[in-house]
Amino acid sequence: MKLNDIVQKLGLEVRAGAGALAAEVRGGYASDLLSDVIAHGRPGDLWVTLQTHPNTVAVASMNALAGIILVNGREPEAETLQKAQAENIALLVSALPAFEVVGRLYAWGLSGMRT
Amino acid sequence: MKLEEIRKVLDAEWFGGETSRTDCSDREVLLCHASDLMSDVLTFTGAGSLLLTGLTNAQVIRAAEISDFAGVCFVRGKKPQPEAVQLAQERGIAMLVTPLSMFESCGRLHAKGLPGGDRAREDAKCRSKK
Amino acid sequence: MPEQEITKTQEMVYELLVRDVMTKGVISVAPSTPMSGLREILRVNRISGTPVLDDGKLVGIISIEDFISWLADGGPECPVADRMTADVRAIYDDEPLVQAVCKLERLGFGRLPVLGRETGCLVGVITKGDIVSGLLKNLEVDYLNVEMRGSRSSHLFEDIVADQSLLVLKYQVRGADFKRAGACASGLKTTLRRLGVPPQTTRRAAVATYEAEMNLVVFTEGGRVTVEVEPELIRLKVEDGGPGIPDIEKAMQPGFSTAPDWVRELGFGAGMGLPNIRKCADRMRLDSTVGKGTRLEVEILMEQPDEAERHCAEVGA
Repeated sequence: MKLNDIVQKLGLEVRAGAGALAAEVRGGYASDLLSDVIAHGRPGDLWVTLQTHPNTVAVASMNALAGIILVNGREPEAETLQKAQAENIALLVSALPAFEVVGRLYAWGLSGMRT
Repeated sequence: MKLEEIRKVLDAEWFGGETSRTDCSDREVLLCHASDLMSDVLTFTGAGSLLLTGLTNAQVIRAAEISDFAGVCFVRGKKPQPEAVQLAQERGIAMLVTPLSMFESCGRLHAKGLPGGDRAREDAKCRSKK
Repeated sequence: MPEQEITKTQEMVYELLVRDVMTKGVISVAPSTPMSGLREILRVNRISGTPVLDDGKLVGIISIEDFISWLADGGPECPVADRMTADVRAIYDDEPLVQAVCKLERLGFGRLPVLGRETGCLVGVITKGDIVSGLLKNLEVDYLNVEMRGSRSSHLFEDIVADQSLLVLKYQVRGADFKRAGACASGLKTTLRRLGVPPQTTRRAAVATYEAEMNLVVFTEGGRVTVEVEPELIRLKVEDGGPGIPDIEKAMQPGFSTAPDWVRELGFGAGMGLPNIRKCADRMRLDSTVGKGTRLEVEILMEQPDEAERHCAEVGA
């Protein structure tokens, strides 16, 4: 599924990384603990979180994640925004809670499991 | 949805001994919250909720208890720390552990029709009090 | 049975009317109905007797006892009219229940047919069983009301006679003590619940205290939490000796946090603490001086009974 499709379907707002929206999303990962995502986030995963801290961009870069969805209408910190723009990491915002966002992604076929 | 049903959906296990299972399997869960950050978990309109989390410290149990949650389910097979277990037993918070990821757990429960917390409605409730 | 309940039941016997507890939709038989057919009618409908109506008019009553004595006599073919009690005692639907109780006792009957006051027609039957289940049902409804009324704040200070009442709870919080963090909020919640503070109000006070407590643990060397409980509101005061908040406006912004990185791995530092407190509060005041300390004051109004009831209905509590 293309990231752009997801942006349309969920009504996400794009805060950074508009150039990265053509990417293919291979799966999903939900966690607010950076150590966790560093350990288990896989390339192509779409990351759902409410962490607005600049470190999230570094993690997304390092693990080649498809992008970051901030939930509950959380806005990224200024530094986070700058970093995401600089590294062309898709930074998206949703007003919905994590459970809802993940539920919908799951319903559209995105999986948290990787065989 | 009853906790026992949720347990089955998530391939989860009861944590905290027999009493946890027998006392809690019948508990009705009204909402689901998925988070690793406590501030997001602390709501005063979320009584009877289930918390999905990867955080295993005692604070999680505190937050769940303060908000009158029905129970906590730890994802990715994470086992709660000893202080957390003790506190949960003291406070009657049900604990489940599922091998599934947070993503998969949310997905399955959402598919089963369990509602998530509604931030917009909650904020509206707060505003109506002013 | 507690004294209150006995009086309640006695009251009810006088307050309730026959029509409130009687069985409507009465099965009846005609005078010409054969006695042999009666057994099936009584069995299928699980009743112990039935009125006998002749063209809508109550002419008699036949019971299972009549049936048994008919059998004892050899069960000869005959209509109900031959074995029924023609001298029918009845009661009107608008009579108080106590009348039904007296009549049943006095006459030694198991049931009484009930007639509508206006029409004089049969509208139902009342048995001892009906009286008992009717009373129980009404008591149950009353229980629910009492329980919900019981969560009112006035219950809190009910037995205290004073011009003004105030309950003060004080807690000490140690800085950097993550093990104990949240214990005060937890203790407060238990206490408020025991005192009978309505559930939503309790939760708001507990959540606000928890967030304040976490701020003390993460940012300070410790502080004091004081909770003042009054009949109409709860006042939360949190004080510490430093370091103070340089920019309060920024601190109140959701997502803004000055918490050290490692705190995020513990689940904190999302920057929602103060905004969360504001959400819980009806009134909030935050004063701080860098180098001296911070003082937070929060007021939470007590939930009113109708709010509490509506909330119970919503949450199924």
